[in-house]
Amino acid sequence: MQKNFIQQLHPLTKFFFALFVSASVLIIPGFIFSFLVFPMLLLIAVAAGVAKEFFGTVMKALLFLLIIVFFMQLFFYPGDHLIGQWGIFKWTEEGLNYGLTLTSRILAMGSVFILFFCLTEVRDFVKSLEDAGLPPMGAYVVLSTLQIIPEMRRQANTIMDAQKTRGVETEGSMLTRARAFIPTLTPLILSSISSTEERAITLESRAFSAPTKKTSLHKLTKSTADRILPFIYLIILLGMVLWRILT
Amino acid sequence: MKRSFKDDFNMMSMLLIPIGVAVNIVGFQIANVLRLPIFLDTIGTILIGVVAGPWVALLAGLITNLINGIFNPTYFPYAITSMAIGLGVGYLAKGGMFKNIPKTIISGIVITFIAVIVSAPITVLVFGGATGSTGSLLTATFLASGQKIWSAVFASSFIFEIADKVVSVLIVYFIVRKMSDRYLSKMNYGTLYMKRESNN
Amino acid sequence: MEDTYMNSIIEMKNVSYRYPVSDDWIIKNASFTIEKGKFTAIIGNNGSGKTTLCNIIRGFIPHFYKGVLEGDVIVDDKKIIEYQLGQLGEKIGYVFQNPFIQVSGVKDTVFEEVAYGLENLGVEENEIIDRVNEILQLVKIEHLREKHPMGLSGGQRQRVALASIIVMNPDILVIDEPTSQLDPIGTEHVFDIIRLMKEKGKTIILVEHKMDLIAEYADNLIVLNEGEIVLQGPTREVFADPRYGDCNIQYPHVTEVALKLQKNGVNLKYVPIRNEELPESISWASVGESVYD
Repeated sequence: MQKNFIQQLHPLTKFFFALFVSASVLIIPGFIFSFLVFPMLLLIAVAAGVAKEFFGTVMKALLFLLIIVFFMQLFFYPGDHLIGQWGIFKWTEEGLNYGLTLTSRILAMGSVFILFFCLTEVRDFVKSLEDAGLPPMGAYVVLSTLQIIPEMRRQANTIMDAQKTRGVETEGSMLTRARAFIPTLTPLILSSISSTEERAITLESRAFSAPTKKTSLHKLTKSTADRILPFIYLIILLGMVLWRILT
Repeated sequence: MKRSFKDDFNMMSMLLIPIGVAVNIVGFQIANVLRLPIFLDTIGTILIGVVAGPWVALLAGLITNLINGIFNPTYFPYAITSMAIGLGVGYLAKGGMFKNIPKTIISGIVITFIAVIVSAPITVLVFGGATGSTGSLLTATFLASGQKIWSAVFASSFIFEIADKVVSVLIVYFIVRKMSDRYLSKMNYGTLYMKRESNN
Repeated sequence: MEDTYMNSIIEMKNVSYRYPVSDDWIIKNASFTIEKGKFTAIIGNNGSGKTTLCNIIRGFIPHFYKGVLEGDVIVDDKKIIEYQLGQLGEKIGYVFQNPFIQVSGVKDTVFEEVAYGLENLGVEENEIIDRVNEILQLVKIEHLREKHPMGLSGGQRQRVALASIIVMNPDILVIDEPTSQLDPIGTEHVFDIIRLMKEKGKTIILVEHKMDLIAEYADNLIVLNEGEIVLQGPTREVFADPRYGDCNIQYPHVTEVALKLQKNGVNLKYVPIRNEELPESISWASVGESVYD
């Protein structure tokens, strides 16, 4: 992917940013600051060229949840200051407050992590963790998982198609549909597990457990921005904490 | 054979983790496609807990939520639940609680309690009682009928979880029975489920 | 006698093995010596223990597979038990049957896939790039360079697997039925690579069923039957040995034809094992005589 300045930042710089935003939203009371975070993130997304992906994922993952969270607090959060009523539904000032606060925080924290993953490839993130000390087996497990998931999904589709031609129903009553589940899943699991042994041999043949320090063609670079930004985050956070304590 | 914590993390077990995670994720997708009312998204974790032990299953649970979280960060806090389920299944299995059907069902119920007790605080404190799925509507109904938030969340999640977990553990039970002795002998805790005694 | 042993790179003395769950011995009392640079083929019917023998040579038994292993296995003057499993990767390359499992599962291009073993060995990055480029050309898979390993055909994957092992430059190559799951063209490509390795002086141990190809390439044969070595020695001698027929294993086609002719009264000057040897191996004078019978 064609990378611009923001995307080219080191994965950990972007990750610390996500942590920084999450922490700040918890430190600053109320909902105004937290609600402002989302538009700011959207601006960053536009600058980085991932606005569409960012916005789409946020809507898909968070919108429905946020609506439910808000209304649940509005109607059911314990409070005495009644501000409105409609039939059996009543809402309080406390409920409104808590609803807005919780919603804004979930929105801010959720979307900053979504933004992180829009701006960072998982492979780069795993490499940065490896550089920071993640054991090679850990990195292997995560990367291998990412390749196996689409493989398994493909196999599942193949099996389901084969089952359909053999007369196994996937439409109809719930019991009928449920009966299609196990014959689809079982061969998938058994064949995957039985290949583990040969996978282990393959890894051994590629000297995975060689007692030397591994090298890597995949290298991450740290720019000046990457060195400075984490400190800036830390300073701002400390400032917020102090402000909170003093006021 | 007394196994230590470190023993569990051998290469064969670690290689099971990607499979377990993929089964969790793909299992959930298949259940979706078939429009089943239960999630079936922990079959992989449970399977690993049974054959590879509690700590490997804990990792599998954690990684499942981390990967799901890439597309939907609301999965991240629930990593704790997945880890607890892995740990619980592993210890139950070590204690022989997956050796026959009645014991497996009991394990399923125990796991349900673990899942509900661990996720309730997350749902209440992080999400104010909502889970973004139909479970929330049930919770809302309980709340509307006058229950307090904690009991409403407990009750609605319990109902959803028990069906899911009992079915999941039974599925794992039958799959483990189908695994060959030769294969089981290579796994950390496979000897519990082998049809004949090991010669070692 | 002394000369042979100074050149030996692999030696097995009275080796026996059984699995943890089984009472039967898979390998019974196997002994042989393999010289550096020689091409040895291991043949036998299914279940005779060929793959197990390969696993023992490579050190997967006992380091990876549990079970009971008796006897001595010596590689490069050191007992295999004394090596760490991770150290053997550089010494002995291992390629096996199933091309679909021999991918690392973590790399997105063939180039990176081939480089993986070198990364694990801690080779310096620039050297890795040079060596991978060299091997991609040698194995003729340059055109697959940027492709995703998961999107390759069986034959392509097998060549990538071979490349990934050869790039690590091991002195010994153990190759277990590499062409069983491939079509004839795939087989030809794989054997081209094996021939290249022979020319480079690698010690090769190959398990195969394709007798014609074995007759062409192998210096020595080891014949396994139910876990025991029943025949071993230079290829010609083994095929010509009358006991070979008792093992119920295929001959090279031309050998079979020649032996049938022999049974029908034609004299052979020697037992041919390659197609081009047939005309001169037959004692034509004797054919002329029997015509008058």
